[in-house]
Amino acid sequence: MGRDLALLLPEISLLIGAVLALCAEMLHRPRWAMLLSLIGLVVAFGWSLTLLGQQTSVFMGTYRIDTLGVWAKLILLPLVALVIILVMPEVQGSDREGTVYSLLAFTTLGPVVLASAGDVMFLVLGVLLSSLGTFALVAYPRTDRATEAGMKYFVYGSVTEAVMIFGLTFWFGATGSTLLSDLPKLQNAPLLAAAGFIAVLIGLGYKAAIVPFHFWSPDAYDGAPVAIAAFLSIAPKIGAIFALAQVGRDLSVEAINWPLILAVLAAVSMTYGNLAALAQTNLIRLLAYSSIAQAGYFLLGNVAMGKSGLAMQALVVFAAAYAAMNLGAFAVVARVGRELEAFNGLGRTAPWTGGAMVIFLLSLVGVPPLAGFAGKILLFGAALDAGYTWLAVTAILNSVLSLAVYLRIIVPMYQSPQPQSQPIPARSQGLKLVAYMMVWTVAFFVTVGLGLFVQMIVGQVK
Amino acid sequence: MVPLISITIFLPLLAAALLVLPLPISTRTAHLIGLTVSGLTFLGTIAIWLQGSGPAGSFGQIEEVAWIPSLGVAYRVGVDGFSLPLVLLTTSLFVVSMIYSLRITERARSYIALFLFLETSCLGVFVALDLVLFYVFFELTLVGMYFIIAGWGYEKRQQAALTFFIYTLLGSLPLLLAILALYLGSNPRTFDVRALIAAPPLTGLAATLTLIALLVAFAVKTPLFPFHTWLPAAHVEAPTAGSVILAGVMLKLGTYGLLRIGLQMLPEAFRELAPFIAGLAVFSALYGALAALGQTDLKRMIAYTSVNHMGYVVLGIAAAAATTNRATLALALDGATLQMVSHGIVTGSLFLLVGMLQDRAHTRQINDFGGLLKTTPMLGWFFILAAFASLGLPALAHFPAEFQIFLGAFGVWPIAAALTVLGIVITAGLYLRAIQAVCLGEANQRWASLPDLNSRELFAVVPLLLLVVLVGILPGWLLDVIHRTTERLGG
Repeated sequence: MGRDLALLLPEISLLIGAVLALCAEMLHRPRWAMLLSLIGLVVAFGWSLTLLGQQTSVFMGTYRIDTLGVWAKLILLPLVALVIILVMPEVQGSDREGTVYSLLAFTTLGPVVLASAGDVMFLVLGVLLSSLGTFALVAYPRTDRATEAGMKYFVYGSVTEAVMIFGLTFWFGATGSTLLSDLPKLQNAPLLAAAGFIAVLIGLGYKAAIVPFHFWSPDAYDGAPVAIAAFLSIAPKIGAIFALAQVGRDLSVEAINWPLILAVLAAVSMTYGNLAALAQTNLIRLLAYSSIAQAGYFLLGNVAMGKSGLAMQALVVFAAAYAAMNLGAFAVVARVGRELEAFNGLGRTAPWTGGAMVIFLLSLVGVPPLAGFAGKILLFGAALDAGYTWLAVTAILNSVLSLAVYLRIIVPMYQSPQPQSQPIPARSQGLKLVAYMMVWTVAFFVTVGLGLFVQMIVGQVK
Repeated sequence: MVPLISITIFLPLLAAALLVLPLPISTRTAHLIGLTVSGLTFLGTIAIWLQGSGPAGSFGQIEEVAWIPSLGVAYRVGVDGFSLPLVLLTTSLFVVSMIYSLRITERARSYIALFLFLETSCLGVFVALDLVLFYVFFELTLVGMYFIIAGWGYEKRQQAALTFFIYTLLGSLPLLLAILALYLGSNPRTFDVRALIAAPPLTGLAATLTLIALLVAFAVKTPLFPFHTWLPAAHVEAPTAGSVILAGVMLKLGTYGLLRIGLQMLPEAFRELAPFIAGLAVFSALYGALAALGQTDLKRMIAYTSVNHMGYVVLGIAAAAATTNRATLALALDGATLQMVSHGIVTGSLFLLVGMLQDRAHTRQINDFGGLLKTTPMLGWFFILAAFASLGLPALAHFPAEFQIFLGAFGVWPIAAALTVLGIVITAGLYLRAIQAVCLGEANQRWASLPDLNSRELFAVVPLLLLVVLVGILPGWLLDVIHRTTERLGG
């Protein structure tokens, strides 16, 4: 028991940080709440570092401390710390400001639990944990749009989660256990395996915003504060994809050809995401569709799971890359504005902001030597290695398509500024500016540096 | 030992980084930095040239640093007989472009920074001995050129830049696929160019499919018919120095890749497909010549002759792949490599001269001009010289190259070679027509007051033209270096 708790120190510190932050909020000390959440995240990150290289599980195999679980923490904890800093300028001064910080820290547990799941109950718990907090976060501004967004997200979430729990009962019934490591027993029960897998796919697909479970995402992102949208587009996605990988490690291909199902969903997701993004003029919606497409690339790693030695490395590297470049892009939008027009001439009026945005967007396309390239080359390599050449080709064609999407933002940035275009709103001054700058700088250096120092991750992931 | 190659290729990038930092750098200083750095880089490649390509038949001056050892990726650079001439060509053209660009005053710092960034990426492609590194530099050239066209081009620059970017990215992604296929096929898995050349990893259908992916990638870049449609737009809208680099250096990335990855790593598949590739090359060469004949815009005309000249290069490479005779192979490859250099300096000069003409007259329509020899004699005579070089006149740069290509190809496919010679006839016709319309005849009164070339322009174009003559009369110093590599191939 003592060993188990010691291995859970990251989760425990995170939780304590979130609870203390909530206490601070009750005392009307939002700044303390922010600080306490951040401290919780940093301490949790420190503990997670000590777990690198562990391949074990706690609580009788139900909770895994393995490559996926540990790396999910190493990626998500710093990410959420940055999201907390990024959300500060948006919610500062509103009543219940502190709850946002506390909820963000608390909600992070969801994706972390998902990524470490060794038991279907943890899958359910992870999905619920990451949903409950985010419903509130999305609706936080209490505008009509935010309420509508929160409502859509909630209804969609409740239904998919109910379906997932229902489907998982088939697996439980067939194997007599809730452990993922007992899934190989399903080998001779293809129908039951399929029922459970599809249910899991619905639940996790909703979290990861994979087509056809994506309908909520553009509306929810658009209604929420920008930083919360950034969080929604990254943290639950990484958690859900890693959870699918945990399932994929144990589910046998004989029972149900799940890699093929995932491959089809991946192809549909990226194509639909990129095509839909082409038509958007609202940047948050554009990035929402782009993140649907990115989820499609991400799935390549799941498809190759078990068949290619590159799959695990691909998932981890792409997760880190995606977190950095997507957060960076959202951070720039948070400062510049949600409408595409706000970016006209930005490259001239604000060269640093513009330059950073170009780097984030090119990284999303996968232009070397940026982080997105490192992730994509591994993902494509894994898919080819696993024999899914058609999927790799689809992904590559989609990368071209996605260039058209992101160039729609880049091109106007370097045209002469339109007379009616506004300079960057003056409200981002002082501390707020520092907050934006901090998030960008970190996201920028990770996006640029990850490609060059990818060995640091790849060398750790076996 | 001093890592000469790495210093040389990253020097421009460092200077580019310096230029984008928020320091008080005036336009004058920025130009000075651009000139000095491109000059130093040129001197660096001279030093690399003097050190030579190392042992015959392999790579010399290798520099290697671990990058992603778990995946067999490393920073590896080195040179051989194929890359050395191209490296030298690249740095010379960049010096020339920098001199010509002294007239740029609009956002000069970003302009120079982008050119220096582009120089590093182009050099990197030629010296990379690791496929991931090769791909990284290959893609970066796109980014640099996109911003140059979009930022400093002519009227329809945004559209041209966009077409260029999307088209060539569409082309370079199959390259990524091919590189991954080569990696997954190698044992032990590696991206090391030397290892992949020494033991070609793929056979059979996998090799053929990989080669087709490579062909698509490089046919877009080279460009070969039917993937050439981005080229006229990009050339016409790009600023003059951009056209020089685009035609002079970046088109070679395609043929160099075809040679290095296609021919050297997939020799069997290349041999099988050689007749098709040669057919494409011949058609492309003829098509380019005929399309050039139909143009009324000087820049478009020169752009289409690039399709023609690069078709010869591909024909040479295909002939080398098909033949079993080692002498023919060396002959064809010597010619193909030399043709890349010749095309770089000749087309570079032509684009410079047309750019200078446009700076003065603000038009590029052939029929708007006349009698330039009388109004601006230097510009006129230089144009005639460059045009003669481009149509393959003996004693000028294209002649020794095309001669060897045809000789090599004739031994393999006599009919194809004969058809291609038709291309030369057409090019000769179109250039003579252009010379007649632009330089000869009665002086058009509209241009009576045009000034002749100034010292900046002379400094830019004269060295290139001297090089054109030098390579035409004495190609030996280049061919010796190339031949040291080609004579060890095949068999």
